[in-house]
Amino acid sequence: MSVHAIVGLLATALLTATPVLLAMLGETLTERAGIVNLGVEGQMLVGAAAGFAANHVSGNPWLGLAVGALAGMALSSVHAFLCLGLGVNQIASGLAIMFLGNGLSSFYGTPLVGQQIAGFHGLEHSWVAAIPLAGEFLAQLTPTVYLGLALVVACGLFLYRTQWGLVWRSAGESADALRMLGKHPAAVRLIAVLTGGVFTGLAGAALSVDYTRTWVEQMTAGRGLLAVGLVIVARWSPWLALPVALIYGLSDALSLRLQSAGFDLSPYLLGTLPYVVPLIVLLLSYRASQRGTSMPQELAGVFRGMA
Amino acid sequence: MKSPWVRALSDRLFVPVGGIAVFLLLAAAFFHFNGYPPLNIFGQIVQGAFGSALSINTTLTKTIPILFCALATALPARMGLVSVGAEGQLYFGALTGTAAVLAMTAAPIWQLLPAALALTIAGGALWGAIPGLLRAMLGVNETIVTILMNYIGIQLVEYAVYGPWKDAGNLGWPATIAFPRAAKFPPLTLGTLSSNWALVIAVLLALVLHVFMERSRLGTALGLLRSNPRVARMAGLSYARHAVVVMALAGGLAGLAGWVQTANVQGHLQPDISSGYGYVGFLVAWLAGQNFLRIIPLSLVMGGLLSSGDALQLFAQMPFANTVVMQALVFISVLGVGAWRAKRRAVS
Amino acid sequence: MKHRTFTLVAALGLAASLGAQPALADTSVGFVYVGAKTDGGYNEAQEAGREYVQKTLKGVKTNELENIPENAQVTQAMERMIGAGDKIIFATSYGYLPYALDLAKKYPKVTFMHCGGAKRAENLGTYFADMFEAMYLSGIAAGKASPDGKIGFVAAHPIPQILQDINAIALGAQSVNPKATVTVVYTGAWNDPGKDVAAVNTLVDQGVQVIGMHVDSPVPVIEAAKKRGVKVIGYHFNDMRFDPKGWLTGGYWNWGPIMASVVKEVEVGTWKSQAIYGNLKSGASKLAPFGPSVDAATRKLVLEKEKAIEDGKLNVWQGPITTQDGKLLVAAGSVLPRDKVDAMDFFVKGVIGSLK
Repeated sequence: MSVHAIVGLLATALLTATPVLLAMLGETLTERAGIVNLGVEGQMLVGAAAGFAANHVSGNPWLGLAVGALAGMALSSVHAFLCLGLGVNQIASGLAIMFLGNGLSSFYGTPLVGQQIAGFHGLEHSWVAAIPLAGEFLAQLTPTVYLGLALVVACGLFLYRTQWGLVWRSAGESADALRMLGKHPAAVRLIAVLTGGVFTGLAGAALSVDYTRTWVEQMTAGRGLLAVGLVIVARWSPWLALPVALIYGLSDALSLRLQSAGFDLSPYLLGTLPYVVPLIVLLLSYRASQRGTSMPQELAGVFRGMA
Repeated sequence: MKSPWVRALSDRLFVPVGGIAVFLLLAAAFFHFNGYPPLNIFGQIVQGAFGSALSINTTLTKTIPILFCALATALPARMGLVSVGAEGQLYFGALTGTAAVLAMTAAPIWQLLPAALALTIAGGALWGAIPGLLRAMLGVNETIVTILMNYIGIQLVEYAVYGPWKDAGNLGWPATIAFPRAAKFPPLTLGTLSSNWALVIAVLLALVLHVFMERSRLGTALGLLRSNPRVARMAGLSYARHAVVVMALAGGLAGLAGWVQTANVQGHLQPDISSGYGYVGFLVAWLAGQNFLRIIPLSLVMGGLLSSGDALQLFAQMPFANTVVMQALVFISVLGVGAWRAKRRAVS
Repeated sequence: MKHRTFTLVAALGLAASLGAQPALADTSVGFVYVGAKTDGGYNEAQEAGREYVQKTLKGVKTNELENIPENAQVTQAMERMIGAGDKIIFATSYGYLPYALDLAKKYPKVTFMHCGGAKRAENLGTYFADMFEAMYLSGIAAGKASPDGKIGFVAAHPIPQILQDINAIALGAQSVNPKATVTVVYTGAWNDPGKDVAAVNTLVDQGVQVIGMHVDSPVPVIEAAKKRGVKVIGYHFNDMRFDPKGWLTGGYWNWGPIMASVVKEVEVGTWKSQAIYGNLKSGASKLAPFGPSVDAATRKLVLEKEKAIEDGKLNVWQGPITTQDGKLLVAAGSVLPRDKVDAMDFFVKGVIGSLK
């Protein structure tokens, strides 16, 4: 493959991966504080619908992203209320949120179908494209991609390099230890869930406002649920979230590229790639790092305590 | 002074009644804020779910796959395994069952149906056993594996119906040949009500599982494995073996949901076998507290809610998505009230 | 306990709601859509037909259900409509056929009209139109607009209708540029904007300069093409407003007159089940208006060819036609037989893509 083709493939992969990456970052932060939120799919959907609506009404894509993030946060607050406030089991609550977000976004999103927005201005004719060598690649990327990359760094630095990040991780490793230090795990977890809501709402808005510039019912097509799973593949690390999301994006882009290059492969079998590849990566990483449990300890109880 | 049995009764009724009350409040608020008269809408939901023979039959049709998938979720949950894989197991079971139909199309019902069911159960069991095995042997989290395998299962069905199993007579439409009568669950009628034997099988299985779980050693073993794996190991219980068996059984149950949808409801294998019944089943299992008896009426309620969706769209001009919102609100209300109650009692 | 309480509520609700269900007016016509009626594509085209019926026929009431998937749910949806008094049901999506046929048996007094079906019944007729003629003409415009002759196509699934579209575009483009190629990418879904965008990106990365599509809603494809600065030919509906600069032309459905005539016939009692087939000449499928970037010479050429097709002088499937693997399928002077067109299972030379 020519350099041009590889650059194109990478750009497509990155574009495809960004909404998933943003959702992964959100869920990583949430789970690191000891809360599982399976409702990411619902939060992405309300973020996508609200973001698209905001952009459509105001003509401002940044406002669209912001409103989408807020919508995600609002929905996640229900999850926080249920499991932190009332003590409902997190898995169950998360799935209820998924249904709620799905229903609300479809219900209110009906008038949005077929509407048009301008989205972000493309970078193809900006100074970015003029950069030697990398310009062609960089110009294809959209603002949310850059936002996603920046947030990877921000989350990584936050979790591992700051005092607050330490407190955050302690909430996920041992709530008792945190209490002994005089901090409140519940408060940290609340912030964690809401932050996750912001990120996942942003992820949905990125999908509708930036990537596709449309709104369709259930347009996330399972990306949110997938993101929750990929967080585990990325060993709950924001740094690893980027390569894992890229693996997903590359599998998706590759399956399309193979088709367009004339390979006589069934698009449906190729369509299993974005799911089979992370599965294989998951298996390999489990074997490689013995039990490889960097799972926040508080999560272990969640997955066991049901009924 | 309240007599003990009044207190006991109010105890047991608190969560369901309180839950429904909260649900009705939230739902009424939702309808009201969107410009629909709540009482009228509630009436239409009930009508759409149970108000006529057509409604009830539609409700029953939807209840069957929900029931199977709820069982397929509750069984592993008894052991502490969180499987979201009913959807994929449903698809894969339908796929393998179809192989029987294609191989034995002209066979009589006493040959074809058992063969198809056997293959369906085997396929679903395989799709469930894989995450069980990975969890048992490698410790890989079964939730993520089942999620991924859902999508793979759906893609495999699409591959089959767009490719090798596509019936040329459809002129490109992705579906197999129409299934013969012999491949379907026999019909069951009671006056104007019509359903099929899969409903009876599902209910029976729920009852059997209930008795089994509450009374047998296996049930106790699963509970122990869930709550205290170390003690379970000391007692000689193999986590790995139980995980694989339980996940396989669950997969088989979900596979049956796939078969009733494919053979009875749709009459051929095609994409979009299920309207997310795997996930609805998950909700029902949770709502029922993983109790197999409670799953039965709850599946009926969910089936009714889904059934009313078309009626509401037609008569109230409400988007079908409102049923999804309703389901979520039921879930949130009942779970919320239940948890609040448990918290209050724990404190006092 | 829980189920007892639910039943109690149900009974109360039932009592309170008796008579709450409204009935629909006489000569009620129901429409069922697989997607949203504002999707700017397949469903909006059907909806435009419904609006035409509603507008032109007095005393006819229409109602519609959107987002009904192509599985057994459509049976329930259609039965609801029949129960509410609809005498004619338009089942507008291909996958509704088996369910519509079953219901036709159950309700002999109701008239069913199915879009694109291959089977009929005494009370079930079908309607459809060829779009490949408009695609051929669009292919000419695409061939002229693409200096390297590289055209791309975003397809949902490999079914004969879509193969017809792709081949027609290729043949049209090759009539003005023999070296023109059409690269095909399947999204595997009728309506997945994320996949549509990825497909467009993949195609443009391969050097494609014009994009055609056949998915339920062309909007995401057009938006993505606009982003990458390539031209576009539309489908199902006239979506020029989404990208006036990049829009060349395209094809769109005009179902209204067919639908209205069916309703009139049923009302009067003269309706008989038949397979209504439209094309460019009959006006059921139309060539979309040209975008501003199409120059006068190309417009003239395309309109000439359009007239030739309507006059019967030009047939899209006339020979010579060579297939992807080099075989001469149709010799010069002959025309591909109609049944081979309907069951199309090949690509012409110059199409890059898989058949499955």
